[in-house]
Amino acid sequence: MKNILITGVGGQGTVLAAKILAQAAQAKGWSVREAETIGMAQRGGFVTSHVRMGDAGEEVYSPLLAKRSADLVIAFEPAEAARALPYLAPGGMLVTASSPIQPVAADPYDPAEVLDVVRQKVPGVIVVDDVALCEKIGSRKALNIGLLATAVAASERMGAGLSGAVSLDETREAIRVCVKPKFVDMNLKAVDIAIA
Amino acid sequence: MSKKLLMGNEAFAQAALEAGVNVVAGYPGTPSSEVIETIAKRHAAGSAEGVHVEWSSNEAIALGLLAGAAYSGARTLFTCKQVGMNVASDPLMSLNYVGVKGGTVIFVADDPGPISSQTEQDTRRYGSFAKIPVFDPATPNQGYEMIQAAYELSERYSTPVIFRPTTRVNHSSAFFEVAEHTKARPLPEEGFVKDPKWVIFPPRAYAGHGEVNERLVAIAHDFDENAFGSFNPSFEGGEGEPRIGVLAGGISAAYAREALRVIEDEAARQGVTVPGYRFLQVGTPYPFPQATVQKFAEGLERIIVLEELDHFLEDQLLALCGRTHGAYDVFGKLTGTTLDRGENSADILTIQLADFLGLQGLGLAQAQNEALAADIALPNRPPVLCPGCPHRGSFYACKQAVGRKRKAEFSGDIGCYTLGNAAPLNAVDTCLCMGAGISMAQGFSVTQPDSKHLAFVGDSTFFASGLPGVVNAYYNQHDVTIVVLDNSTTAMTGAQPHPGTGQTLMGPRSKPVSIEAILRAIGYECITKANPYHLDEAVEAARTAIDFEGPSAVIFKAPCISLVPAGKPVSIDADACTGCKKCLKSIGCPALSFDVKAGVVRVDEGMCTGCGLCTHVCPFEVIEPGVEPPLDVEVR
Repeated sequence: MKNILITGVGGQGTVLAAKILAQAAQAKGWSVREAETIGMAQRGGFVTSHVRMGDAGEEVYSPLLAKRSADLVIAFEPAEAARALPYLAPGGMLVTASSPIQPVAADPYDPAEVLDVVRQKVPGVIVVDDVALCEKIGSRKALNIGLLATAVAASERMGAGLSGAVSLDETREAIRVCVKPKFVDMNLKAVDIAIA
Repeated sequence: MSKKLLMGNEAFAQAALEAGVNVVAGYPGTPSSEVIETIAKRHAAGSAEGVHVEWSSNEAIALGLLAGAAYSGARTLFTCKQVGMNVASDPLMSLNYVGVKGGTVIFVADDPGPISSQTEQDTRRYGSFAKIPVFDPATPNQGYEMIQAAYELSERYSTPVIFRPTTRVNHSSAFFEVAEHTKARPLPEEGFVKDPKWVIFPPRAYAGHGEVNERLVAIAHDFDENAFGSFNPSFEGGEGEPRIGVLAGGISAAYAREALRVIEDEAARQGVTVPGYRFLQVGTPYPFPQATVQKFAEGLERIIVLEELDHFLEDQLLALCGRTHGAYDVFGKLTGTTLDRGENSADILTIQLADFLGLQGLGLAQAQNEALAADIALPNRPPVLCPGCPHRGSFYACKQAVGRKRKAEFSGDIGCYTLGNAAPLNAVDTCLCMGAGISMAQGFSVTQPDSKHLAFVGDSTFFASGLPGVVNAYYNQHDVTIVVLDNSTTAMTGAQPHPGTGQTLMGPRSKPVSIEAILRAIGYECITKANPYHLDEAVEAARTAIDFEGPSAVIFKAPCISLVPAGKPVSIDADACTGCKKCLKSIGCPALSFDVKAGVVRVDEGMCTGCGLCTHVCPFEVIEPGVEPPLDVEVR
């Protein structure tokens, strides 16, 4: 069983990243459940996708992750990384983007301060300079694919996170299924740039 | 056939289509709306042959319409959220006495938490109240099977059937083999056959009540065996003869199985023995599958009931226990063993079940406490009116029009505009249920004659349940001002069309129903209109209507920002901005923020739609207008 939490703010593309992982696991015959928890806000609220995948014979019951059960957390911005900490399993992998999405209609927060706390709690956290990454890819909209590819590559390299469940090649294959045909090449290129 | 990742609601829509559903109707409401949206998309794509699908003006209308279709032999699907059942309860209660010919599934999405609703009511209670059988899925996959079974059951007994998922089942996804193309079942050639049984006079009701009672006994029996019995799965675990029972319903059954796995894994790791237990999911809570539950309870000493919302299964089990002189104790909400409200989770049930099994020693509660925490204040992301939302200007204009010297009650209603209650607008004093803002304002007009009474209502809500209140205000000559916030859509639930848009799910457009023409036809003498982005015009329109003695109305019309492209953002002259924060403190647009270092207000160009409301609010006129978004919605 692998549990993945993908968290960010409405409009960042978290849902597609979750669907790609779900598709990749399904393609290998794993059983999959996926769920989104969304607040009332249509825009600017946080969105969390739960992806659960069970290997042969392992049934997935609850659509939502339990605390301390995430093998991998991908956060699209620092405050949401911090908010997701209770879900991270001991030894689980945390990948987060570094630039903040400030809340609307509430006081702004200091991302450096929040990232310090995250680093202190999860010394192995992978902090991605998402501004630089998206610049290299050439589109802010590719943040989801960039972070996903980073997380899958790190999992393969470190034998943690998604290792043993979803590989980079399987991620590429799932992108071909989940993304509209005219955007496939752009997204596959984003994967290559992200892991270069 | 191909395997697709479907959200629960999409899968349920698919199941109904595969069951050959002919007519689908409902009213939007989270977490139910995607069922009709899915069917509408399939219809538009031409891959759902022969189905009629519509958003009706409210739930009672939808269910009445479906009754007519079902009497003619059509398979029908009704959809709403839990509070929609209150609206549809009038046709619901008598429809069951009359019975149906075509299979009729009443899809009602409950919302434990609640996450996006005004109550935590439990639709299983509507089942027992109206004496209608209920299916309660634990997963999207089980729900998919239940829908198809529900049509069978409905036609076998001429009964409507309630299908009641909850938010986490509606909105979680799994993979399904789906038929790419579906065909509605051919309607019976004879069509509607006239018969006195369709007319519910008292003697017919008496006879119908007897038919209902008889079939409930037979249905309870069906739920104990064969195809329907598979919705009440049971298994045993632990070691030794089971003395402990776990009875669960809905998503709690999925959480319970997850929790039991966590407990067993941890016990195995620590070399601890798990005492024998028996598990039962009741997927058909009403009529209660008595024989199944009685068999489950055999030899048990203690049973814990796990369910969300009401203690429905617990009540049924207690009644069965009393009737059969059961030698077991029942634990649940009534004993304070489980949560009396809100959502369950695998974490919560892990602790409850470990306790119940006497396995506190495993330390699972302590392990949950060891979860990492941020130990730092994280930013809230509360729901707010979007940047450029036309409601912002409408609320602000009404506040300005009332002025500081006059008292006023602002009665709100259900929709995005309930968010007008937040600071700095503070423009919603009450919110009760669909349409009640209008009637509540009339109550205030009787008891608070010294103040002004404004009732805010959205365009969709106006048609759904506002109208009778609008008529009453005129009939009884209450001194209220109906403030119509017309954004040309049902925004809160994801932009569904309604009578005022003239857009239907079947393709051809009808002529939009005019709210202004309705008000005139009723007899309203004072009706004003304004563009809510133009503050002077909006204040003037509001003032005229509010000052009017007797029932009046003001219509603010501008489309929801989700329907039209943004204009060009406004710009702020940073050298001229005095940092007075008037714009922030009056209208609270998320696109505006204060730059503490520079001491000026900044505009987020990515968020600003160019609506220009702030340009009218700035006392120093340092905000330059951009280009306003268009007022006309292009037909999609």
